[in-house]
Amino acid sequence: MMNLYRFNTNLMRIFVYLTLAVLLIITIVPIWILIVNATRSTVEIQQGLSIFPSVHLADNYRILLGKGLNLWRGFANSLFISLSSTVIAVYFSMLTAYGIVVYDFKGKKLFYNFIIVLVMIPMQLSIIGFYQYMSKLGLTDNYASLILPTIASAGAVFFGKQYLDSIVIHDLIDASRIDGASELGIFHRIMLPIAAPGAFTMGIFAFVAAWNNFFNAFILISSIEKYTLPMLVQTLRGDVYRTEYGAIYLGLAITIVPIIIIYALFSRYIVSGIAMGSVKE
Amino acid sequence: MNFSINRRNYYGYLFIAPFIIGFLIFGLYPVYNTIYLSFTDTTLMTREADFIGLRNFQRLFADDFFMKGVRNTWLIWILNFIPQIGIAMVVSVWLTSTRLKIKSVGVWRALFYLPNLLMPAAVAALFFALFSYYGPVNQLMVRIGVLEEAMHYLQEVTTTRGLVVFIQWWMWFGQTVIIVMAGMTSIPLTLYEAAMVDGASGAQMFRRITLPLLKPIMIFIFVTSLVGGMQMFDIPYLLTDGRGSPSNSIMTNNILMYMKFSSSKGHIGAASSVGVLVFIMTSICALGIFYLLREKD
Repeated sequence: MMNLYRFNTNLMRIFVYLTLAVLLIITIVPIWILIVNATRSTVEIQQGLSIFPSVHLADNYRILLGKGLNLWRGFANSLFISLSSTVIAVYFSMLTAYGIVVYDFKGKKLFYNFIIVLVMIPMQLSIIGFYQYMSKLGLTDNYASLILPTIASAGAVFFGKQYLDSIVIHDLIDASRIDGASELGIFHRIMLPIAAPGAFTMGIFAFVAAWNNFFNAFILISSIEKYTLPMLVQTLRGDVYRTEYGAIYLGLAITIVPIIIIYALFSRYIVSGIAMGSVKE
Repeated sequence: MNFSINRRNYYGYLFIAPFIIGFLIFGLYPVYNTIYLSFTDTTLMTREADFIGLRNFQRLFADDFFMKGVRNTWLIWILNFIPQIGIAMVVSVWLTSTRLKIKSVGVWRALFYLPNLLMPAAVAALFFALFSYYGPVNQLMVRIGVLEEAMHYLQEVTTTRGLVVFIQWWMWFGQTVIIVMAGMTSIPLTLYEAAMVDGASGAQMFRRITLPLLKPIMIFIFVTSLVGGMQMFDIPYLLTDGRGSPSNSIMTNNILMYMKFSSSKGHIGAASSVGVLVFIMTSICALGIFYLLREKD
């Protein structure tokens, strides 16, 4: 009886590992082909599929930049927008979450419920009204219209509240007050350093969201020298690169490899961050 | 003392003030403005605009094109959501199973999640390249004999739609695994131990313990996925010609909204009405699910 159970468990285990392996192949292969093909010449790519890198990275790079596409300017633009959005989103979301966690003000519960509802409501669908309003303010084709709205990031506040609930030490706050620290001073000099791991996780998500954001930038930004990386991807799909497969794959690789590196370094934070943003303790 | 504590709590308002101001300026006013525009015939080319009441909405409801966009969006979302949640449930049960003791759970989970972080615009361009006529998929299919000759995947309604569904699934099932697993591991083990003592089978425990206790997590996944799915844009827009070809099979709500916005005259009144309708549709569905299934205190 016990042996049969163990046999069944082992059989099941083999089946599970096989299925997981298939899922893993489906997940990884497209990304792997992208990176490998970025190093292969167009001729090699046309001749057939390979899972091994080749030696034509430099050639592809020359072709990629030789057609008037300023990929690195797009890269710098995206980096600037993403870093600014991240700093703003993290600082103001932590500030808001701290206010909810530490103080007992009237309407606090209502405010927090409102934030949860905001997480679920598709605000992006107001992009047209946002566009027209920004154009009245003269802020279209201006990065401010992409960066400033992150002051009010409901999802980040939700995450920050969950996180601060678990780490805020009320005795420490009281002790600092007795030492004469101001309320904002306590937040900046005592709580923010303690909350750094949570702020960092929140920052990764804010960065990735800004880095990958196509739709808003596509609507709001019009001059080519201000194009962000996802907007330039369109050019790669266009006629200019019609048959230059190696260069196309390389261009795509340049847009996604930074994110893969960030993920390789910090996947622990990211995975626990997703779990935390969804499970109520 | 009491008095000073109450006074101190006013600092709460100071801390949340930037969020509220940011929300009023960048969140609420644009919503108001979008709703206002949807009742007008505003274009980007003319200064004057008239209030035309519900005419934009009447036009949309009479427009097969819009109805098709709504149907496409729902179809693509549902076809990706069912396998997404189904596979995520099965994988989560396996990865958290104390009987199977799967090794390197964290590594599997982390790798499944990877596609979610990639830029959707680049993902669309990648699959466009992979499934192009001379692309790797055709090469492979012909070589191993699945296809007699190469085919134009992105000129057929079924394969194009299927590809969008697949890409959405590919990008999101890993995230769903992480969330479902977090939900499953937060269920106290003692519940399962007690059930085992009572002689419950694995399937019974799943149905009677796991599923009911996962309800809040399921609502969260369902609602966030629905809200995201109704706004699907990058993948279908960049996979074909940006108009939902072939035969408008992957034209979604947001693509239609963008087409009205970017039309030669820039009909932002009409585009707003698309946004408003989808906003209402999504919000009703999301809040409806949220309230129907919420924990009753």
